Amino acid sequence: MTPSAAGAARAERFERKKIATAPRTLVLVGNPNVGKSVLFGALTGKYVTVSNYPGTTVEVTRGAATIGGSPWNVLDTPGTNNLLPMSEDEQVTRDILLQEPEYATLQVADAKNLRRGLLLSAQLAEAGVPFVLALNMADEAAGRGIRIDVERLARELGVDVVPTVAVQRQGIPELLEGVPKARPSAFPLKYDDAIEAAVAEAEPLLPERARLGRRALALMVLAGDDSLRVWLDAQLAEAAIARLDEVRRRLAARYPESLRYVIARQRLAAVDRLHDLVVTRGGSSAASTFARKLGAWSTHPIAGVPVLLAVLWLCYQFVGVLGAKVAVDFLENTVFYGHVVPWADALVRWVVPAGGLQEFLVGPAGVPFRDSDGLLVGRYGLVSMGLSYGMAIVLPIVATFFLAFSVLEDSGYLPRLAVMVNKVFKWMGLNGKAVLPMVLGLGCDTMATMTARIMETRKERVIVTLLLALGVPCSAQLAVILAMLAGVSAGAALWFLGVILAVLFLVGWLAARVIPGRGSDFVLELPPLRVPQAGNVLVKTLARMEWYLREALPLFVLGTLVLWGLARVQGIALLERLAAPVVVGVLDLPPSAATAFILGFLRRDYAAAGLFQHFEPAMRAGTMTREMNIQVTVALVTITLFIPCIANFFMILKERGWRTGLGIAAFILPFSIGVGATVNVLMRHLY
Amino acid sequence: MPASIARMERCPLCGQAFDAEGRGCRPSCPLASGCRVVCCPSCGYSFPQETGLAGRLKGWLERRKEAR
Repeated sequence: MTPSAAGAARAERFERKKIATAPRTLVLVGNPNVGKSVLFGALTGKYVTVSNYPGTTVEVTRGAATIGGSPWNVLDTPGTNNLLPMSEDEQVTRDILLQEPEYATLQVADAKNLRRGLLLSAQLAEAGVPFVLALNMADEAAGRGIRIDVERLARELGVDVVPTVAVQRQGIPELLEGVPKARPSAFPLKYDDAIEAAVAEAEPLLPERARLGRRALALMVLAGDDSLRVWLDAQLAEAAIARLDEVRRRLAARYPESLRYVIARQRLAAVDRLHDLVVTRGGSSAASTFARKLGAWSTHPIAGVPVLLAVLWLCYQFVGVLGAKVAVDFLENTVFYGHVVPWADALVRWVVPAGGLQEFLVGPAGVPFRDSDGLLVGRYGLVSMGLSYGMAIVLPIVATFFLAFSVLEDSGYLPRLAVMVNKVFKWMGLNGKAVLPMVLGLGCDTMATMTARIMETRKERVIVTLLLALGVPCSAQLAVILAMLAGVSAGAALWFLGVILAVLFLVGWLAARVIPGRGSDFVLELPPLRVPQAGNVLVKTLARMEWYLREALPLFVLGTLVLWGLARVQGIALLERLAAPVVVGVLDLPPSAATAFILGFLRRDYAAAGLFQHFEPAMRAGTMTREMNIQVTVALVTITLFIPCIANFFMILKERGWRTGLGIAAFILPFSIGVGATVNVLMRHLY
Repeated sequence: MPASIARMERCPLCGQAFDAEGRGCRPSCPLASGCRVVCCPSCGYSFPQETGLAGRLKGWLERRKEAR
């Protein structure tokens, strides 16, 4: 061992000894990424020990510090948003607070996002834990115009509050002065009468000398914190556990939502009031009363529905009218077929010798650019069809949708939309954890398929994967569907919506019967609503468009290549003849629709783009006949129920295995055609 | 492999700030090469990192804001 290494080892042994002998412990808690570890480093210096918390793989760091002239153990806990744990990390933090002997707490909050920090402060107050609050990154908060009335906050909470900039060691001396004076907060957080009565009934049944106060334990029990069960079983008699279960059951019967959600909502309301008292932004209250009210309406079980419908209607108008009509018309007719395609055609025919490559790039010579060999125009030329579809039809539609989506994100409505969609999925019969992948599938089905890992059993994972592939359109597909719906009659649009919802309800209902038990709740922190910032919206939209071009355009090129190859060997005619019994006989679509279904295997939106362009003149002129409305609805239903894209298909194979993946595809293909055929028959009789 | 860039990102859905390194959400996806979509470790929401033109626009907007 080198002298320096030996010195370090000695120093470490010395620090370990200090850690073991220090009479008091300071536990650092805080939300993830608030600078807790930097503060820990500033307090403890170089020598620390890192070990897994017993029985877990979660690392906990311990060090030593001299505070107020006395030695202290300092313990850095994993970041947590809640003392009701949702992950192993959060459970470790809660267990440390529950079991560590004699400690004070230093809560580190992000001053830029105080609301999240105060939610944790409120729970520490309920737990009766002595603590000091550090408002870290105070300089960044001030730079953003956020002003926090520190004295008022300290008064309201009844504990010391110290603004800090941990990376510059600002505020550390004041914090060190405050730690020995750490005391339980007197923040008065009251719940509704029923919950308060249940808490009063549960409190006497709980252990008296636990590190966390009985009120906090009672609320954890009522919220259904299963992770506390092992500890409670060791502390209480069976009769007391049974009484607690009874109190919880009675209280749960009073609310339509889960108790975890009800308690979190009421706690958040109290935190919001405190936040509004102490935080101002640029001279005005951080959230106006109207924005707060609108925020509350938007997740209300009844008032939230009209808000949700209004938002969806605005998106539909924006995407269906501005995107699908105005922007597509300009890009397709003026830019692409007016300039880009003729120029590319002339250039290619001049540079590339006549033959296969020339045809692949711009289609056969002497044939008008927009000539259609059936449903798809452009004769399978890369520019005349692939790029025209990708850039002139799908891109303006998804761009307007991404713009609308970015507005929803930046305004803070997106998490509320997720809450409302969560409720809709619950009405459909889906429960607990199954809802999360469904909500995320509206963004990207491929990613959501991976999220299905959170389901506990293989059966649950397969059902969620199937539901995602079957009926949840991703954002790009949703955009093209909205554009198509804007072009058909209101009756046909309602048929489409009704069928897709009915399929989801039916499969969701079946899934609810097959997936046993009650899953965990979908818990999201809801930021305040705000007016979207134009710069943010532009950047987000641009990032999504770049991603879309990078991901979708190569598949459009691949699709064009497949069709071009098939056309050269007369494969398309053969395919149309083979598919005719299904496409013509069962679905009553033109034989050429088979080509759209080939594209549907690559991306559903590419297939829908073919349909869109085929019917676009009639849609724009308002001359859609009954037959056309039926054909569009049938084709759209069939394509929507298809597997979303080739990437999603590969992800299904990867996540669920070849056998299950092929099984899912084997189910979806006849099922989507069967539903399309049923819609065709029903619409011809009833529409 | 996904091409996520190592930097702090904030999830637009749940507000969680996280290091995007290794957070590309679809390592097994056939289109993962060069993909800059990252996945929030807290709620699972996925979104594209602001790189390329969007990244330059973001940088320009931030510099303009700081200059004011």
